[in-house]
Amino acid sequence: MINPKSYYFDIFQVDTPVLDRLTEEGLRSGGSYCDLFFENTTYGSLLLRDGAVTSGGNHVDFGVGIRVLAGEKTGYAYSESTSWADMAACARAAAQIASAPVDVSPYGTRNPSRGEPNPAADRYPVREPWRGVPMSTFLPFLQKLEADIKRRDTRIVKIIVNLAFQVSDILMYNSSKEFKWDTRPMGSVSVSVVFQQGTQTENKSTSRSFRCGAEMLSDALIEEMASEVVKGIDDRFAARRPKGGQMPVVMGAGASGILLHEAMGHAFEADFNRKGTSIFADKMGQQICPRGIQIIDDGTLAGNRGSLNFDDEGIPGQKTYMVEDGVLTSYLHDRISAAHYGVRPTGNGRRESFRYAPLPRMRATYMESGNAKADDLIASVSKGIYVDEFSNGQVQIGEGDFTFYVKSGYLIENGRLTQPVKDINIIGNGPEALAAMEGVADDLAVDPGAWTCGKEQSVPVSCGIPTVLIRSLTVGGE
Amino acid sequence: MTNNTLTKEEIALAKHCLAFAQEEGAQKVRITLSKTLMNLIGVLNGEVDKTAHALDRSLQLQLFVDGKFGTFSSNRMEQDGLEDFIREAIGTVRMLQADACRDLPAPERLEKGATEGTELGLYDTEYESLTAEKRREMALRSMAWPREGLISEEGEYSDSIFDSLTIDSQGLYARHTETSFEIGYESTVEDKDGNHFSSYWWDATPRMEDLRLEGCAEKAYERAMAQIGPVDIPSGKYTLIVDSECASKLLTPVLNALGGFALQQKNSFLTDSLDKKLFPEELTILDAPRTPGDTGCRLFDSEGVATREMPIIEKGVVKTYFLNTYISRKMGLEPTVEDATRVKVLPTGGCKTQEDVLEKVKDGILVTGFNGGNSNPATGNFSYGIEGFLVKGGKKVHPVREMLITGNFLDLWNKLLVAAEDARPCLSKLIPTLAFADIDFSA
Repeated sequence: MINPKSYYFDIFQVDTPVLDRLTEEGLRSGGSYCDLFFENTTYGSLLLRDGAVTSGGNHVDFGVGIRVLAGEKTGYAYSESTSWADMAACARAAAQIASAPVDVSPYGTRNPSRGEPNPAADRYPVREPWRGVPMSTFLPFLQKLEADIKRRDTRIVKIIVNLAFQVSDILMYNSSKEFKWDTRPMGSVSVSVVFQQGTQTENKSTSRSFRCGAEMLSDALIEEMASEVVKGIDDRFAARRPKGGQMPVVMGAGASGILLHEAMGHAFEADFNRKGTSIFADKMGQQICPRGIQIIDDGTLAGNRGSLNFDDEGIPGQKTYMVEDGVLTSYLHDRISAAHYGVRPTGNGRRESFRYAPLPRMRATYMESGNAKADDLIASVSKGIYVDEFSNGQVQIGEGDFTFYVKSGYLIENGRLTQPVKDINIIGNGPEALAAMEGVADDLAVDPGAWTCGKEQSVPVSCGIPTVLIRSLTVGGE
Repeated sequence: MTNNTLTKEEIALAKHCLAFAQEEGAQKVRITLSKTLMNLIGVLNGEVDKTAHALDRSLQLQLFVDGKFGTFSSNRMEQDGLEDFIREAIGTVRMLQADACRDLPAPERLEKGATEGTELGLYDTEYESLTAEKRREMALRSMAWPREGLISEEGEYSDSIFDSLTIDSQGLYARHTETSFEIGYESTVEDKDGNHFSSYWWDATPRMEDLRLEGCAEKAYERAMAQIGPVDIPSGKYTLIVDSECASKLLTPVLNALGGFALQQKNSFLTDSLDKKLFPEELTILDAPRTPGDTGCRLFDSEGVATREMPIIEKGVVKTYFLNTYISRKMGLEPTVEDATRVKVLPTGGCKTQEDVLEKVKDGILVTGFNGGNSNPATGNFSYGIEGFLVKGGKKVHPVREMLITGNFLDLWNKLLVAAEDARPCLSKLIPTLAFADIDFSA
């Protein structure tokens, strides 16, 4: 949502002359660039537990982050007040990074874009606002969702439904006199269900998260989430740990995009490459996976959790091809890394809040569809594993070793899905896994869940992938 | 105490908010006011690369209105704005459903001896003497750059003051003030084939004079270099030795399973475990939250309830759940504290150091870091990626990586062979090097 500039000036009690004075204060010690990030975020939450919505609340977070760059060096400070005295003190603290004039400027400060945000190009218009609406408006949704889940399975003993929403007003300004502003909504619904069958207990969960208004709380969403959270519970009870070891892995469409996020996305974030730590630091322009594969990081998907009208440095949201036809074509850049590599920023400068300096971060990371059929990929495996539900992942940037935790999947035996499996970790190496992709299906799905990336700071992201076959990964087991 | 800690005006504002919420219709109120001042110096390859300065304040309200409950917070400290915020918050609470289990703790359970905030000796006045130049010098003093094979060295020195005050409508006044000084370095090295290996080292302490700056980056570099040349070893059952630095990965899920929230939601593999011997006789785990000067200690939990030294697991028997007022009433059990504060695993097996453990078990895999993985809270099943070293004849023979361990926590802890005595004081949980028999490794 993009409001008029005056809306943001009113919230933060600033105007253009004050902002100019503040950036001048930041550059007082000789820094080459100064930017300001004003944020006013309101959070709301409601929790349904044991059959009633008995907990909820609102939270306010307000402040301004001031960054001063001296070449590639960063001075950062923030203030929770926008009084001149507090902001100026922060600007002086950030300015200390520079002890002498520096003439290296981040890309974009030499050719500033003074275009104002265009409301018509908004990627997350809001039909029903979260703010200014009584919390009681949302209670029926939670109660209805719980009731719908409960009626679907008699083994259910506990249900938790959580609704969380936030709206962030953002105003950005910098020493190149670029103005950007934005109002970012986010609504998230998560469900956790505990089932009991005899002496066995199992849990299942699901979530949905979008940059949109309260219109997301629909009957269609109730049907979707309720059916998803009970689906496959029989298999979950029947699931076993497989025998561990190296084997082919077929990754189902959608949430398996965690593979791209962990195995390659982080390694493509340009700060790791600028510092020489990434395993892909010297691979630009080289073929890193089979021909025909495109891997994208996209900030332009309407309503997507990772989408942005502008990143947190004021760079327009955009779609970035990291891999084209199997060749590494772009890292993910913020202004600092873009200046280092002499390229345009890719709109990946993101931060958790005004309390943090921006870093290159992913948005929605996915692979384009290929030509194969998912069933054919499964049929081509004589002994392996199929996985489609995950909880978390991790990567070691230098080594390229990544892991992700599989909540459910199946053994593949002679080309057919057989024994359900659960609770196993899978480990591999990024470059090796990319090179070992033997088939990509035509069923790309971007997962709608509430994914959060935790690289130093937490930011909302999403991921997607078509069904893919990887020749060999190490699967945990007994 | 200085302006870096809570001021009289800020404390008066919190008290005003407490009274105002009651005037506006809240029957019971708890407020936590906190303030954190942090400074950080980042170093990249021998030069200062970033600085950060932060001052955070937050006022959190827990409101009990007509049998209903809500939690609210704001970092905007203007009195007028807060009054509007509280008025609106009370209106919001009234829209929720009633819950008879919501209440403040019984007054006799509250901490009464934390009125100054400094009772535990975690506040170091030396903090006030720090200057920007001193911080830079401390950050740079630790570095090892340059070294053979070292391609990147990132370090951070940071210090902070954290001050919080919790008050409630039945007279609670509990304050906790602490300083923290921390150094951490991460090194990435390259072998002759261009493969990268990374590792880290760190130290943290509430008192500046105890911070071990020297050797931090050197240790990170040595740990990274030690990983060069990993070899593949076959899947199978091995003795698992876990470095103290990462051993909490195997204990935290057990503590979580004893948490009231998991138990009440029947999402715990330790349901109905109280007073049952589910762990081996050799295992005793304590909570020691009131040791003066000890990292992470607290006199009270977030409800203001006094912490106390107590066994969590004693000779294999589960001795406590972690139950706050709300969960205890939901479960019909006596409340305890809401979480473990300063966990200590007592030694068993007759080893003091990691070297003693390796010598005792002779063969196995020493895990020095975990790479991802997770566990199922309902079943206790786990699967984690690991890195470390193959151990033969009591010696580390070569690094291993891209391996996984898989099992169940109850089964794992019942295979405990050794708990040494080498936990570093800076760790939030005092867990030493551990060893377990016959664990499944996949490779």
